[in-house]
Amino acid sequence: MTSERSDHMLGDTGATVLRDNAEVAEALGRSYSAGFVTEIESTGLPPGLSEETVRQISAIKREPEWMTEWRLKAFRHWLTMPQPDWAKLKMAPQDYQAISYYSAPKVAPKSLDEVDPALLETYEKLGVPLHERAALAGVAVDAVFDSVSVGTTFRKQLADAGVLFCSMSEAIREYPELVQKYLGSVVPPGDNFFAALNSAVFSDGSFVFIPKGVRCPMELSTYFRINAQNTGQFERTLIVAEEGAHVSYLEGCTAPRRDENQLHAAVVELVALEKAQIKYSTVQNWYPGDENGVGGVYNLVTKRGDCRGADSKISWTQVETGSAITWKYPSVILRGDRSVGEFHSVALTHHFQQADTGTKMIHIGRDTKSKIVSKGISAGRSNNSYRGLVKVEKGAEGARNYTQCDSLLIGKRCGAHTFPYMEVKNPSAIVEHEATTSKISDDQLFYCRSRGIGEEDAVSMIVDGFCKQVFRELPMEFAVEAKKLLEVSLEGAVG
Amino acid sequence: MSESAVPFVASTLAVPPPSSGIGWLDEARRENLAAFGEAGLPDTRVEAWKYTALRALSQRSFIHGDAQAATRDIDPEAFALPGLDGPRLVFVNGVFRGDLSDLSALPAGLALRPLSQALAQDAEPLRFALARRYKERGDAFAQLNAAQAVDGVVLRVAADAKIDVPVRLVFVGVAADAELAWHLRNVIELGEGAELTLVEQHVGSGNARQLGTLVADVVLRDGARLQHIVAQDASADATLVHRHALQLGARAQALLHVLELGGALVRHDLQADLVGNGARLDTRGVFVPRGRQHIDTQLAIRHQALNTTSDSTWRGVADGRARGVFRGAILVAPGADGSDARLNNKNLLLSGSAEIDTKPELEIYADEVQAAHGATVGQLDERALFYLRSRGIPLAEARTLLTAAFCRAVLDDLPNATLREHLASLLAIRLPV
Repeated sequence: MTSERSDHMLGDTGATVLRDNAEVAEALGRSYSAGFVTEIESTGLPPGLSEETVRQISAIKREPEWMTEWRLKAFRHWLTMPQPDWAKLKMAPQDYQAISYYSAPKVAPKSLDEVDPALLETYEKLGVPLHERAALAGVAVDAVFDSVSVGTTFRKQLADAGVLFCSMSEAIREYPELVQKYLGSVVPPGDNFFAALNSAVFSDGSFVFIPKGVRCPMELSTYFRINAQNTGQFERTLIVAEEGAHVSYLEGCTAPRRDENQLHAAVVELVALEKAQIKYSTVQNWYPGDENGVGGVYNLVTKRGDCRGADSKISWTQVETGSAITWKYPSVILRGDRSVGEFHSVALTHHFQQADTGTKMIHIGRDTKSKIVSKGISAGRSNNSYRGLVKVEKGAEGARNYTQCDSLLIGKRCGAHTFPYMEVKNPSAIVEHEATTSKISDDQLFYCRSRGIGEEDAVSMIVDGFCKQVFRELPMEFAVEAKKLLEVSLEGAVG
Repeated sequence: MSESAVPFVASTLAVPPPSSGIGWLDEARRENLAAFGEAGLPDTRVEAWKYTALRALSQRSFIHGDAQAATRDIDPEAFALPGLDGPRLVFVNGVFRGDLSDLSALPAGLALRPLSQALAQDAEPLRFALARRYKERGDAFAQLNAAQAVDGVVLRVAADAKIDVPVRLVFVGVAADAELAWHLRNVIELGEGAELTLVEQHVGSGNARQLGTLVADVVLRDGARLQHIVAQDASADATLVHRHALQLGARAQALLHVLELGGALVRHDLQADLVGNGARLDTRGVFVPRGRQHIDTQLAIRHQALNTTSDSTWRGVADGRARGVFRGAILVAPGADGSDARLNNKNLLLSGSAEIDTKPELEIYADEVQAAHGATVGQLDERALFYLRSRGIPLAEARTLLTAAFCRAVLDDLPNATLREHLASLLAIRLPV
């Protein structure tokens, strides 16, 4: 573990950053507040990737034979795949042999009480309630540190309701029949380059199973943290909601500031059976790199939900402010009749960040509905693209889609792009797409300024209004965080 | 399979490109043909051809050029536009036909002649356009055209000349014994402040199972104004790949109307560069594929100067087993402040076996801009249908009326009334009943 960059630590201000507006401006010093490194002893695999690495990861996690085989199959397939280049991203070529595919705190905790205090402190600093504060917040949290889950809260309460919420490694050991049934059923191991890589080397993630008819008694949340140097994080999340089940799931991410690009290639699979509802919210704040574009996380993620049963609903909400590169298209396959898919997104890029993000809505069942609201904000020298597909298959009688994509440009050297694809094969379908691109108008700014609001506050207010439609979809706690995160990320964008 | 084993490519490479005796031109032809041979026809993995598969075409062999074109029997009624008199250039299967053309009374300031004549007299002014090497992935037909086209249109309007009669370019495809490919290259330039109305007609007679490629460069110098109509009603068996590349200087204005009605497989690339401050481009278009037709329109507008404006309205109607493809890409380059770009594409899907694929795109690199696009795919408004039926109009007729009204929106701002009515009736004939 190195500490040469720990001088960037913002220490005790970190925890409050996302909470208190008054302190925000002061504490920020216009930088990434989650960029500190935690000094903790860790073990891991040396950099490199081969069948042996895959076997080792599987062995460390004491996985059954079928899982090891599953991984190896994915790995062999990955070797035959070229890295995709269709996104509007400039990405340094990745050396997949230079990455360590497994890193974990040395002492594995048995329960939350045994978690290394340094670790707890980390999450405290990040404002993630793992302990007593969790009770107040009323959110069950699974915290993933580098490659492993370090603790899941509220397990008993959840178990009483019949909800399974644990780390993926645990699920593979404890509930193999469920994992075998659903893992890879939405995102097959060979789906795409990064999904195949993830399938081979994923280390941990969250597993959620809501049995028939159960409404999950609290919000579930996973907090991802990359800490170690030269590691990639490959988490795998699987959420299954049986008939009539409801669940709301939140995810947050941060990483230390480092000069090299760290890789994050996650896969998230959601399965909604008949009348089930899954709401998945993300606030992604991986380290975006510095103002010169050095460092930052490469966030290459495959997220897909399958509305397998009739009348099911899957809704994605994302606030993307971090990462040097974001390549992410949370999608919904609307297989069940009358199923509903939603995608609400705010993506903000600043400095040299690049985002190519959007969604896919695949209408297969009858009377399926989808709604897409995407808000892109570009500042500095960043590029922000919306890329989306709305596909109506032949049998999707009465399918309905509405898409709205707005982009806001702040500054002269950034780019905002929209690439929507519409493929319609059913004559009773209605598909609509609208997009606009503009900058913050001088009139709006002048109005605010004439009422005594400073320029930066005015911009932040206008941006907040621009994003309101999406923030409304976030659970309240997250909405507040997201709003402040946006203010922080826009720091220095004006003037 | 290597590209040269594909029948289409093999039959093209079998004969050397035509020789002009002009060094730079022959070199450009050779190099473009070589590039074509190397890359072959694009497959659907090439983004620009994502929705248009060329597999069937690639299995066909073509003979390039029609030796009997000069003597083929053509009925001038096929392309008559009553009430519109003016200069006319007619090509049959890619060959210039003086007997069908009318170059008798060219207005002052208008120079109009076939490319073959222009090359024979003085090739140098055409060098910039014709020496071009096409290198983009998916440029296969442009490469092929550059290698094979020996004729076309050279049209120049002198500075400040206002041509008050419409100029017509007519491209006729007629059946031949063999599968025939023809290629035409148009070079059009409007001098500063010049004005012109240009009507481009594609007509077919008989079952002309042929491939036509047409590449046109259209340059508008500062302050020039162009009204350009493309009425494509090619033979039902024809494959047509046409490309218009427009360049607009300062304050230049172009108004385009495009009707895509005929052809089995039609691809239209419409590219416009707004390079002068204050340039304005308006495009209006409608594509109406039915039966097994496949019509693909690729519109790309690039705002590269200050205060440029573009406004595009496109309609698509797909019936039967047809497929309509539309891409409307708008790019605002860095520094192109004050750009105002608007595009909308509405589509009607009338059959369960038809398909519409539409992709409006915005790529914006400047912040003082207004850009918006919208696209829809749907069907006729049930309430409007009900309204018409409640007034005693039978369902079929009501559908036809509404479909016609849906398409006619693109003709509304065509200034020339005669032309407008002519295009409207052409459209009405082709609309699904």
